[in-house]
Amino acid sequence: MQELQQDTRCLPESVEMQALIDALADTFAVEIEGAREHVTTWYDTFDWRLYNRGYLLRYSDRHWHLLEYRTGEAVVVARAGAGKKRLFARELPRGRLRSLLAPVLDVRALLLLVSLGSVDTRVRILNRDQKTTVFVEFSRQQVRGTDTVLRTVRLVPVRGYDKALRAVRAFFDDQGVVEQVPPFHTFEQGVQAVGRRPGDYSSRFAVRLDPDLTSRQAAITIYRRLLDTMQVNEEGILRDLDSEFLHDFRVAIRRTRSGLAQMKKVLPADITATMKEEFAYLGRITGPVRDLDVYLLYEHDYRARLPEQLQEGLGSFFADLAEQRRLEQKKLVRALRSPRYRQIVTGWDEYLRSDDPTPSADADKPVIDLARRIIHRRFRRLLKDGLAIGADSPDEDLHRLRIQGKKLRYSLEFFRSLFPEQEMDTVIRQLKRLQNNLGDFNDLSVQQEMLTRYLHGLRPGSRKNMELAAAIGGLLTNLFHEQHRVRERFGKTFARFSSRKNVALFKKLFH
Amino acid sequence: MSVIAVYNIKGGVGKTATSVNLSYLSACQGNKTLLCDMDSQGSATYYFRIRPARKFNTRKLLKGGKHIDRNIRGTDYPGLDLLPADFSYRNIDIALDDLKKSKRRISRILKPLREEYDHIFLDCPPNVTLLSENIFHAADRILVPLIPTTLSHLALQQLLEFLDEIGQERAKVLVFFSMVEKRKKMHGEMMRLLQDEPGVLPCAIPFLADVEKMGIYRQPVAAMLPGSAAAESYRRLWDAICGELEKS
Repeated sequence: MQELQQDTRCLPESVEMQALIDALADTFAVEIEGAREHVTTWYDTFDWRLYNRGYLLRYSDRHWHLLEYRTGEAVVVARAGAGKKRLFARELPRGRLRSLLAPVLDVRALLLLVSLGSVDTRVRILNRDQKTTVFVEFSRQQVRGTDTVLRTVRLVPVRGYDKALRAVRAFFDDQGVVEQVPPFHTFEQGVQAVGRRPGDYSSRFAVRLDPDLTSRQAAITIYRRLLDTMQVNEEGILRDLDSEFLHDFRVAIRRTRSGLAQMKKVLPADITATMKEEFAYLGRITGPVRDLDVYLLYEHDYRARLPEQLQEGLGSFFADLAEQRRLEQKKLVRALRSPRYRQIVTGWDEYLRSDDPTPSADADKPVIDLARRIIHRRFRRLLKDGLAIGADSPDEDLHRLRIQGKKLRYSLEFFRSLFPEQEMDTVIRQLKRLQNNLGDFNDLSVQQEMLTRYLHGLRPGSRKNMELAAAIGGLLTNLFHEQHRVRERFGKTFARFSSRKNVALFKKLFH
Repeated sequence: MSVIAVYNIKGGVGKTATSVNLSYLSACQGNKTLLCDMDSQGSATYYFRIRPARKFNTRKLLKGGKHIDRNIRGTDYPGLDLLPADFSYRNIDIALDDLKKSKRRISRILKPLREEYDHIFLDCPPNVTLLSENIFHAADRILVPLIPTTLSHLALQQLLEFLDEIGQERAKVLVFFSMVEKRKKMHGEMMRLLQDEPGVLPCAIPFLADVEKMGIYRQPVAAMLPGSAAAESYRRLWDAICGELEKS
């Protein structure tokens, strides 16, 4: 079976396609099919969720083709209407394609990455019965919007006709068409031609720091990476492609603020103070849309929490939220196009590129010392505050602890590359578990507050509002109970985090 | 995954044309499809311009495994393979009779192929023989092309009774009308009489010259003349069969 593998070759510049087809026709009995023009479009999410799982998604000839990256073989083929520039999992045709991709895509949208317009000529190699023994597919593909042209020839074997395949292979070898390319060649070349690279974006923060760097150099590297993240997400926010552009943008803002606060003596005091304010402003202008995004994403969950007779009432609630979001998104776009925003971003960008000679207390200290100090301090604080929380402590204490946890998490991620990988993974995993508990607790609080606010704003009287109020009442009860359960789990979760073993690991790494 | 045997006790009812076109339509939908030509005349093999390897024969077929693997041929259509027939199949009953578990042999041979293919079609020879009994065991569905005449109806009854006799469910059987001629009064009457019987699909393949001509151009009519009435009627038949397959 090995021999039946497809074989795709790149045509060298010097070879003319028509001359090659003519030569093929002189050597074998062939049937040349008329040239066929078609467009192939490749899709993935902004953060390459399909690529990362070894998939490629192509739309051509009114069909979706989900392919295995390595072999180019189809996993699912599904008929569909016109391909769009952006679509969510729920817009894919019902069936295996959707059920396979929905959990992978989650809330992210599929985006059109690149389109290739191709002219294909298929030549069938025939035997004495005029039976096809090999398909030879010549393809000339133009990457839309660029000058890049890809020319390939693909040999598609027919089972049981190995001898013919060997003869055709030998023919191309003789013609100097020898460079074999992988099945994903046109995808990769196409994506590259429009300025992207598979896997070039991930929402995970990762930066490699050299332990010999000064604190200033390291801080600049970190801020630089965070600013890049903000900038690459800008377009997706402005075009409102999916909720995660804004989310990643805001996480980068929070990380920057956290960095400025924790590495406070690394950059000059006035810069640190100004930027803290500026980034707080960025946090404020992006907040409302994100909050509404989060609420809107609850729709499915809220319906699941309610008995059927109460679900109806939620319709107008979510319609309201969607309308609010529409207005807030407009404001956000205006803010991101304003001179103030431009000024903040270009100002910060220029500062990070500049070589500011102003001295600062921690600027020249080795980054490894700074990292240890910050992480250790953050950890001690989290431990102390967490241990002080008992069953009767007010909710505010847990909320504050969540913020502490976040600060520790950010500093661990900033300096991750300076410490042994496996131990860092363990430390972060332990912290994550605690953060999940605190995060759930907080989310449930925020939701109850939001729903209560909404309930108070409702005017009684209409039947619609009555149903809505009933639904919200039902939700509040449900969320309240769940929050209670989450709170009950806190003790155990924190005990695990503050176990002797984990504390020892922190001490060993950061003391 | 399903094995569909195209069968009728009578010959010349359009079995091969049905197997060839349905297997082609199945492959067009992206299903990996295998057509096994079980008829020693090798008409399906001929339609796809395939010649069996010189060394392939009944003995190899019944051995199965790599002996079959080696002899499967790709057709001119992506996703559609064919296991050619050999003239030696005319004596297949004698060979089967000599084997242990002679009624399950074809089932056993098809087992590994079930893994590889989404649909397997068996183009069967007419007559009730040990081979047919094997095929009834192996098939998930027995598709019967029926020319709407009294004698054909009688043949169908014989088939159903035979299935009872060998302990196979009648529910496996799907019937459709084949080679239907509008101008013949009896065809219309027979169809009306049978249309509500269990397992009878609401599909008819008309008697059309385009189907007959398959022997000349040696391609499925659905590939050669995709816009023809013949192609359309096979597509409708395949849709109806898919509907039945989904039910089970």
